[in-house]
Amino acid sequence: MIGLVKAELRKLFTTRLWWIMLIVMVVLVGVNLAFIIAFAGVSQNGGPALPKRDTMEWAQVAWSVGSSGGIFVMILGVVMITSEYRYQTVTGTFLTTPRRERVIAAKLITGLLIGLLFALVILVFEAATVVPTVLLSGGEFSLAETRIPQVSIGILASLALYGLFGIGLGALVRNQIAGIVGAVVWAYVIESIFTAIPALHSVGKWLPGGAAQSLMSIDIDTGLGRPEWLPAWGGALVLVAYGLLFAVVASATTVRRDIT
Amino acid sequence: MTAIEIRDLAKSFGSVKAVDGVSFTVEAGSVTGYLGPNGAGKTTTLRSLLGLVTPDSGEALVDGRRYVTLPQPVSEVGAVLEATSFHPGRTALDHLRILCVAAGLPDQRAGEALEMVGLADVAGKRVGGFSLGMRQRLALSSALLGRPKIFILDEPANGLDPAGIEWLRGFLRHLAHDQGAAVLVSSHVLAEVEQTVDNVVIIAKGRLVRQGTLAELTTNGDTAIRVRATNAAELAPALEAAGAAVERVEDGLLRVRGIGAEAVGQIALDRRVVLTEVTQERSDLQKVFLELTGER
Ligand SMILES: Nc1ncnc2c1ncn2[C@@H]1O[C@H](COP(=O)(O)OP(=O)(O)OP(=O)(O)O)[C@@H](O)[C@H]1O
Ligand SMILES: [Mg+2]
Repeated sequence: MIGLVKAELRKLFTTRLWWIMLIVMVVLVGVNLAFIIAFAGVSQNGGPALPKRDTMEWAQVAWSVGSSGGIFVMILGVVMITSEYRYQTVTGTFLTTPRRERVIAAKLITGLLIGLLFALVILVFEAATVVPTVLLSGGEFSLAETRIPQVSIGILASLALYGLFGIGLGALVRNQIAGIVGAVVWAYVIESIFTAIPALHSVGKWLPGGAAQSLMSIDIDTGLGRPEWLPAWGGALVLVAYGLLFAVVASATTVRRDIT
Repeated sequence: MTAIEIRDLAKSFGSVKAVDGVSFTVEAGSVTGYLGPNGAGKTTTLRSLLGLVTPDSGEALVDGRRYVTLPQPVSEVGAVLEATSFHPGRTALDHLRILCVAAGLPDQRAGEALEMVGLADVAGKRVGGFSLGMRQRLALSSALLGRPKIFILDEPANGLDPAGIEWLRGFLRHLAHDQGAAVLVSSHVLAEVEQTVDNVVIIAKGRLVRQGTLAELTTNGDTAIRVRATNAAELAPALEAAGAAVERVEDGLLRVRGIGAEAVGQIALDRRVVLTEVTQERSDLQKVFLELTGER
């Protein structure tokens, strides 16, 4: 199994997509951070505003931006499966490893690892931007006063699980364009509707995005009412359940089909 | 030793019976040509053999076992299926190194395999820039990674130039006759395999129509001898007197059936007729093939 995971990592790192995704992700997180830096302490229409830049609350909000990297990991996961069909390399893959569920397992593990790697890059990037911003604004940075460690774990867990999600989705649709469109629609439409509108939270908190939020337990009122997430352990369980569900979907759909 | 065994194999795609009750075997140390026109079911048979397609009924075994149950498939069977199954952005060497690590083979096999097919100097180039023939060689090199003793090749000569085809022929003969490998190679272009194969299996519309050695298929008893002579008009009656059926093709050229070349020579000597050509006509595989598959 270690050999198969290594093979999957080689597949990823011998093509260009992974670093393109990594750069785009860092840029996107950077743009989000720039907004949060710019609008810190500014109140909108008299409503509650972002906390001030020199506070630990602000640092925590800024930190949670990292979870927006999930979509990139998800797309990579989708591509890890669908490009095998697109370029027919799946033939060689299954000739080398005819027990297909082992290939799926290796891809799922690789998806998790890539999610962790991308999350680590985000965390380093956030540390390099958020900490200096707080200090330069005259605040004092003390980890103990924030939930930043918990938020970081949330980012790690949610990106890893988005990797799984992507693999499961890719195995389900097998068509690259459909898979990527599905991933984007999922992350930007479905998840955001269900997590942004409070009335839909009862459903949204059970979606992977909502479950990942609960891991971070950010308790900030965005003006639309206080979100009610699951408890952190509940969020973790939901994410693991999704991971298993996708593993089952991925193997059930791929293991049997004829490769012609 | 039976390396490949296909028994009553059947597979339908919807209402199309792609393979319909095919049985044959391939022995170690021989090259078997698997021939049939387009859509005959060759690829479907080979993919069933390799566990990529699940047959509806029957069995397809390598070394007496189903491919999917082999513990080290790459070291037992080398397969070439499509020339295009590469990621265009990946280099040739990387492609093979991925297969190596997945199969538990040392990485250096990748370079060695490229060397064997003559691709060593483009090892670091992206496959997207490869010609069809180069891709075909790369596919062949992936089949060599685990030094298998059974080869299953689907139209491996596709896209090769004459020199490449010549090289492939020699390579397949070398694998089978010198290394004792069992080689099953499909084709719809008979000229490609005619000089390579020991045995022939012919299918058409999913059904097996003929199986045997190349010699059995091409020398079917009633072959003619072409005879050219300066005085053919005088020779013809003499041959007929000896019991031959003579067809006067053109001035000076006869097609003789019913007697051997030696008898023709003897009669010509007796009559003091100068022979300028004596050729044993061989019904070539192409003709046999077209007859058998009903394509004529
Ligand atoms: N995935 C599929 N779905 C539907 N029909 C298929 C599929 N694969 C093959 N067929 C059909 O099965 C039959 C046999 O196809 P196959 O590819 O095995 O032929 P072949 O002998 O390899 O032909 P060729 O010389 O053109 O490669 C054809 O009629 C083909 O249309
Ligand atoms: Mg074919």
